[in-house]
Amino acid sequence: MSASKDITPPELIKDRGSLHPINHMKDSIMNLLVSFGFEIVDGPEIETEEFNFDMLNIKKSHPARQMHDTFYVENKLNLLRTHTSPVQIRGMLERKPPLAFISGGKVYRKDDDATHLPMFHQVEGILVDENVSFAQLKDLIYKILYSLFGKDVELRFRPSYFPFTEPSAEVDILSREGKWLEILGCGLVNPVVLENCNIDSSKYSGLAFGLGIERIAMLKHGVTDIREFYKSNLDFLSQFK
Amino acid sequence: MKIAYTHLLSHIQEKPSIEMVSDKLFQLGHEHEVEGNVFNMEFTPNRGDCLSINGLLRDLAVFYTVNLDQKKYTESIDKLKIDFENLSQDICPQISFLKLEIDKIPDTYKGCLNSYFLDLNINKNNFFTDISNYISYETGQPTHCYDASKMNGKLTFQELDSYQEFETLLDKKINLTKKNSVFLLDNQVINLAGVIGGKRTSCTSETKSVFIECAFFKPEAIIGKSLKYDIQSEASHKFERSVDPACHETVMRRFINLVSEHSNIKEMSLVSYKFENITTHRIPVNVSKINQIIGINISEDQYLSYLLKLGFTINDALITVPSHRSDIKTQNDLAEELARAIGYNNIPKIELTIPKGRASNNYEIENKLRFFLLDQGFYEVINPPFVNISSDESIKVDNPLDSNREYLRTNIINSLLDNLIFNERRQKDSIKLFEISDVYTSINNKTHRVRRLSIIASGRAGHNYENFSTKINIKHLTKIFHEALPSENFDFQILTRDSLNTKIKNEIIGCEIDISNFSSEVLDYKETSKSPGNFIQYQPISELPCSKRDLSFSIKDFTKCKSLEDYIFGLKEELLKEVFIFDYFNNEQNAEIKIGFRFIFQSTDLTITEAQVSNIMSVIIDHANKIEGISIPGLN
Repeated sequence: MSASKDITPPELIKDRGSLHPINHMKDSIMNLLVSFGFEIVDGPEIETEEFNFDMLNIKKSHPARQMHDTFYVENKLNLLRTHTSPVQIRGMLERKPPLAFISGGKVYRKDDDATHLPMFHQVEGILVDENVSFAQLKDLIYKILYSLFGKDVELRFRPSYFPFTEPSAEVDILSREGKWLEILGCGLVNPVVLENCNIDSSKYSGLAFGLGIERIAMLKHGVTDIREFYKSNLDFLSQFK
Repeated sequence: MKIAYTHLLSHIQEKPSIEMVSDKLFQLGHEHEVEGNVFNMEFTPNRGDCLSINGLLRDLAVFYTVNLDQKKYTESIDKLKIDFENLSQDICPQISFLKLEIDKIPDTYKGCLNSYFLDLNINKNNFFTDISNYISYETGQPTHCYDASKMNGKLTFQELDSYQEFETLLDKKINLTKKNSVFLLDNQVINLAGVIGGKRTSCTSETKSVFIECAFFKPEAIIGKSLKYDIQSEASHKFERSVDPACHETVMRRFINLVSEHSNIKEMSLVSYKFENITTHRIPVNVSKINQIIGINISEDQYLSYLLKLGFTINDALITVPSHRSDIKTQNDLAEELARAIGYNNIPKIELTIPKGRASNNYEIENKLRFFLLDQGFYEVINPPFVNISSDESIKVDNPLDSNREYLRTNIINSLLDNLIFNERRQKDSIKLFEISDVYTSINNKTHRVRRLSIIASGRAGHNYENFSTKINIKHLTKIFHEALPSENFDFQILTRDSLNTKIKNEIIGCEIDISNFSSEVLDYKETSKSPGNFIQYQPISELPCSKRDLSFSIKDFTKCKSLEDYIFGLKEELLKEVFIFDYFNNEQNAEIKIGFRFIFQSTDLTITEAQVSNIMSVIIDHANKIEGISIPGLN
């Protein structure tokens, strides 16, 4: 039996790792929004009550401010941000309109069960300019969700309530099983919030939106238990290469 | 809150179907489930005014002809003499008391009172409490009934800031601490205001004479109390979201009417206290502003017609907000009212243009770094920051979930160490993990934020024939990182296994560095890993043990090498989880190639058996044995 002298060894398959699926989803959404024109702004996870609540028109009596909902640190001097919205406050204080930026990252709420974790991720965006309208917000939300779920996805806008937006809406998508799934919250920035950030609300208006990353990642990847994301199990992580 | 469809329908002239009402409720922003003939409603916290039949009907009036024609007592009523003092008028600016005495307690209920208990399947309590509950359902205003025979003494309302014991009408004993708004009878708490009444003065099935209290409490004074004392209270749910401060007269007269429909009233008297005038909100009519906010072009007449249907009044170019709508104060609030009436989904889109921004450099560097690590076989993990270990610089959580999560971590590496042990226990023999995260510390009472990268690795250098026999060590990692990023100091250390509950001896190598000012040289690194193009459908993972088999082949006919590889990598066995080449040697002297495959088996539902693995291995061996020029040393 003659053997060829020119022997090609088997392909050397290099081990490659993977991005965490939550960070991958966050990056995908943020990259999409950057491609639309949004700038990325960063902010701390340890926040003051002023930036996390007061400036966002969340009153002292609001249930979210209670010890059972928010993690307070350093003898109640500060807290772990409950949303990425305080970054919007910081961004608005540092910039002059027109402005359009996004922020993404970890947020914390005092929950721990099969469907809620004490730490999860959000991406939020804000745009402030003259004559920004709810109809323009709808256009933006359609573009975001068409990019994420395809142009065939059916959307539904529902009136909702957030102290920092007015009008406020929640947006649902219709699942393959015919069930409406809540996917994001949005609205026009409450003029009170603009004034809190030294922006003339008689001249400028704004739109804002926020997405929960875990929820979208669960939908996109078919993960049914949110806790899987944070077990650091290589059998789980290696699927997301 | 459960609201019966039929109870709404009896007030709507057009008689819409339950599906039509459901659609309209969604359009108005009132989420619900339809359970038979009942809407299980979930209202947003700003719409306390909708927590009743009348409240929902007021909103539905924008679509339908609604008649809020419930009968009320219309005759004059004697003034009630009551020894009452309000020491916290800022918390309770409006309060009314009605005294009623009946001659006989009814055996059965009729009309809407009967339908309420029947249609919503609610248990009855006693006559006056039942009417009070119905009144709350119909009007949204909670009332409280005291047995008049137990109400001898001076009644006081005040915000107490002292320890008090209190027994609720549901026999629950609670200790009131810190500030609580309460009613006291001769200095004893008889009612936790806006939440629940006390046992001492509660009505029973024998009660024929009652004091009915109808109050407006500022929501701030009620919020959190039911949660604090673990009391399920529909009244507090309503007071926390604010009730109509101007409804007392109507509510009391409706109460009298319902009582009179069931029994003869022997005595009635009423007193109302107004310690503060109700603020009426007026907003200028400005349809152009409303059109700008929503992005539509509606006429002023159309706009105002919607508001009129929703109970607003318009005079002298001013819109007067009804007293039950404490949530409406600005043009944006009015714009939302109009948008709800039109339907959010009926508002056409207008194209939005956004000026192009730019990503910050920190993210570019961080992302490059992540892809460099991916290329080296590292997996990214995310860990929560809560730990039970503290240092001088640790930040303490004031209200942790439990004692194991009392502090914020001051390093990431300990989290990665936990992740590594977790994976070792799942038979992973090559573990490479990294995490990038902010780490927060407190130094001299100042919060410090640092962006850190932490890396951990242990076991085999890789699952291929070049790296399988190499164990991860400091030299190995330092070489890889130094070659790619020569100006950064990755100070890899051996981490001790002393405190770890494990029998595995592999060295654990780790390092943690501050990347806040990381060199931009990483931007020059040419990564080969890419972000996944599509979102992969996750397959549920197995927690059952896996089984490994190695098989080495001797190949004399080199042309058969590729077909052997194709066969093995193309195997479609449900239990075969992974296969890779762990050994490859070209012995030129003997004109022989030795190639070793590792097979890893795992089941998702049952522990895999020796027989199952052997069966699959036999098929592979049989197939290989049939290929001329390939042998399996030790078997042939």
